[in-house]
Amino acid sequence: MTWLIWRQHRAEALALVVLIAAIGAALVIVGQPMHDLFPNGASRCVPPTTDRACIVGLATLQQSYDFAAPMLALLNFVPLAIGAFLGAPLLARELELGTWQLAWTQAVPRMRWLAAKLVALAGLTVALGAAFTGAVAWFRQPLDLFGRFDITGFDLSGIVPMAYGLFAFAIAALAGALLRRSLPAYATAIVVFVTVRIAVATWLRPQFRAPITLTQEIPPGSRELRLAAKPLDWNLGEGFADASGKHFSELSSTIWEHKATDAGIDPATYLHEHGILRWITYHPADRLAGFQLIESTLYVGLAALLLALLVWRVKRRAL
Amino acid sequence: MTGNEQALATEGLGKRYGKKWALRGCTLALPAGKVIALVGPNGAGKTTLLRMAVGLVAPTVGTVEVFGQSPTENSPQALSRVGFLAQDHPLYRHFTVADLLRFGRSCNVRFDEGLALKRLSQLDIPLNRRAGALSGGQQAQVALALALAKRPDLLVLDEPLASLDPLARLEFQQTLMGAVAADGVTVLFSSHVVHELKQVCDHLVVLNHGHVAVQGDIDDLLGQHRLLTGPRVETGPRKSGSVIEANHADRHSTLLVRDGRTALLPGWQEQPVALEELVLAYLRRGIDQEATV
Amino acid sequence: MFHFRLDAGSGVPPYLQLVHQVRQAVLLGFLQPGDRLPLIREVVETLAINPNTVAKAYRQLEQEALVTGRPGSGTFVNEATAKTMSPATYSALRRGLESWLRRAYTAGLDEHAVNALFATVHHQTRIEEAA
Repeated sequence: MTWLIWRQHRAEALALVVLIAAIGAALVIVGQPMHDLFPNGASRCVPPTTDRACIVGLATLQQSYDFAAPMLALLNFVPLAIGAFLGAPLLARELELGTWQLAWTQAVPRMRWLAAKLVALAGLTVALGAAFTGAVAWFRQPLDLFGRFDITGFDLSGIVPMAYGLFAFAIAALAGALLRRSLPAYATAIVVFVTVRIAVATWLRPQFRAPITLTQEIPPGSRELRLAAKPLDWNLGEGFADASGKHFSELSSTIWEHKATDAGIDPATYLHEHGILRWITYHPADRLAGFQLIESTLYVGLAALLLALLVWRVKRRAL
Repeated sequence: MTGNEQALATEGLGKRYGKKWALRGCTLALPAGKVIALVGPNGAGKTTLLRMAVGLVAPTVGTVEVFGQSPTENSPQALSRVGFLAQDHPLYRHFTVADLLRFGRSCNVRFDEGLALKRLSQLDIPLNRRAGALSGGQQAQVALALALAKRPDLLVLDEPLASLDPLARLEFQQTLMGAVAADGVTVLFSSHVVHELKQVCDHLVVLNHGHVAVQGDIDDLLGQHRLLTGPRVETGPRKSGSVIEANHADRHSTLLVRDGRTALLPGWQEQPVALEELVLAYLRRGIDQEATV
Repeated sequence: MFHFRLDAGSGVPPYLQLVHQVRQAVLLGFLQPGDRLPLIREVVETLAINPNTVAKAYRQLEQEALVTGRPGSGTFVNEATAKTMSPATYSALRRGLESWLRRAYTAGLDEHAVNALFATVHHQTRIEEAA
C-alpha cells in the first residue's frame, strides 16, 4: 500500500514540496535584510522600547517593508493549495477513470485502502503545513513586533495553518467522492474553504471570548483624545460615547473630534466639558495562543466530520 | 474441483438506486469450473449483479455468495478468490506496465507475477510503456493478466469484448480460454452480444429489466427448446410456461416451446432452435410481460 | 500436428464440429493410429473456444473408441478400430454427390430446398435403419 500511495500521489507531493521550498527560499531572501535590522534579535525590541537601535529598526521596518503584509496575506492560500491538491484526487481520480473497481477488487479491503490513504495524505498535509508555518514564523519574527492578530499573523502561525490544510483536504476529498471528478472538487474546495475562512475570521473569531471594553472620561489636557490599543493587543474598535456610555458611531466620533479641535480651547477639555467619554474594545495579546487553539480545534473538528462522512459513504458503497 | 460446487449463488438478490431497482429478485446458482455468460440488453442490471458478486456494491436485499463466502464483507480472503475486470478495463493510465505489476504485488497476498510476466511477454507488451500509451487490446490484456495473476477461483468480466476490435477480441478470448484450460478458473462474463457466445460458454444467464429471464447449461437449454411450425392456432395461454413465444401468420403459427416432449400433431414440424433466437425470444417475452403487468 | 478449425456460422455445435473433423481425418487417413491429438489447451488457445467444449469432443471420440486419452501424455488415435476409407472411395462418393447436386439445381431447387430435402431424406433413412 505504501508504494501504491507514493506512486499515485508522488506528482502532487513533489509539486507541493517544490512550492513550499520556493516559498521558503523567497521568504529567506526577502526576510534576511529584515532580520538584519535587529542585530540583537527582534524579540528584544518589543515596543514600547527605549533602545535606540530598536527604534531605528522599527521605523525602517515600517517604512520599507509595507509590502510584507499583502505578500503574507496571499500566503493564506497555501494551506488551501496543500489540502485541496492532496485531497481532491484521492477518490475523484479513481471514480473519474473507473480505477476504483481495480483498486477495490485486490486483496486489500476498501476500508483499509481508504484508511491508509487518509492517514498518509492527511499526514503529508500536516507535514507540509508544518514546514510552511516554520518558514513563515521565522520570516515574521520582526513583524511580530507590530502584533500577530491580523490575517498575516494569526492565520499563518502556530498550528493554525495545519488545521486549515486538514480542513481543505477533507472538503476536497469529500467533494471528489460526491462529484466524482477532480476539477469540480478543486473548485468546490476553494469556494467552501474561502467562505468558511472569511465567516470564521470576521464573525466567529472575535467572539471566541468576550472582548474587554474600557470606558473612561477624557482627562482635561490629555494629548491623545482617543484610547489606543497596546501594540500587541487585538483592537476591535474604539471611539467616543455619551455620558450614559452609549457608543457613538465612527462618523459621530469623527465629528466630535473635529468640533473639539475647532473649538478654540484644549480639545480634551472641550470633550470633557461636554460629558463625552472614550472607549476601546480589544482582546489582550496574551489571548493569542488560546484563540489559535480554539480556531485549530474548530477546523480539525470540521475536517474530522467531513472525513467521517467520506468514510461512511465509501463504506456503504453508495458510489 | 467437485462437480456440483457452486461458484456463485444468489438468493432474492436486489439492488435499488434511489427509487429504481437495478436488479430484483435474482436467484442464481452458477456451477464452478464453467464459463458462464450473463446476457441482456444495456440497463438490464448486468453490471450491478457483477459488482455485487465481487463486493464492489452491497445488495439492498437478498444474499450473494462466492464459493460460500459473502463478497459483501470485503474480507481479504474473499477478495483474493475473485478477479474482476471492469468495463473498459480501467488501468492507472500513467503507471507503466511494470508499475501495474508492482501494484498487483503490493495489494495482494497471492500474486503470481511470473505468470503475468509470461503472458505479457508472449503478447509482446513492453513493461516500460505507460498503460495509457498501449492500444485498447493491449490494455485489456494487461488488465486480464493482472486479474489472472491473483489466481482467482472466480474471474468476473464486465463486457470484456465490447471495446475491442476483432483481432484483439480473438486474442483476448485465446488468453482467457487458455487460462480456463490451464487453471480451471470459473469465468462469469457479461455481454450484450449473443453472437460467438456458443464457442466460449457452457452456461447462460439471461437478464432483462433487472430480472432473470432464463438460466441454465447451454446444451441443456438448446436441448429443451424446440421451434414448432404448423397450422395457425389461437394464442395459447402464455403463462402455461411451455410456450415461450408464439408468432402467428395468416395460416400458420410458429411456437418456441420448452420441454415440449409431447407427440407432434399432424401437420406440425419441429426444428432445433439457435442460441441467438432463444435469447431473443426470452428478452422479448420479458418486455411483453413487463408491459402487461 | 492436427489442426482444428471452426465455422461459427454453420449452426453445428462447436464440439460436434471437432468430432466430425477427427472422424473425417481418421477416415481419410490424415490421422494415423498412434498420432497425438493437440492438447486441449493448444486447441483452446488457437480457436479461442471453451476448454469444456474440446473436452466434450474428446470424451465423445473416446466413447466412439476412435481415440484414447492417456493421463499426462495426451490423446492418441487408436489402432484401426474405425473403418478407414481409401481416398479413392472418398472422391468417388464426393463426385456422386456433386453430380446429384448439379441435377437438383438444374431441376430448379435452390440451396435451401436442397438442404431441406437432404435433411428429410437423411432423417428418414436413419429412422429406417434404426428400425
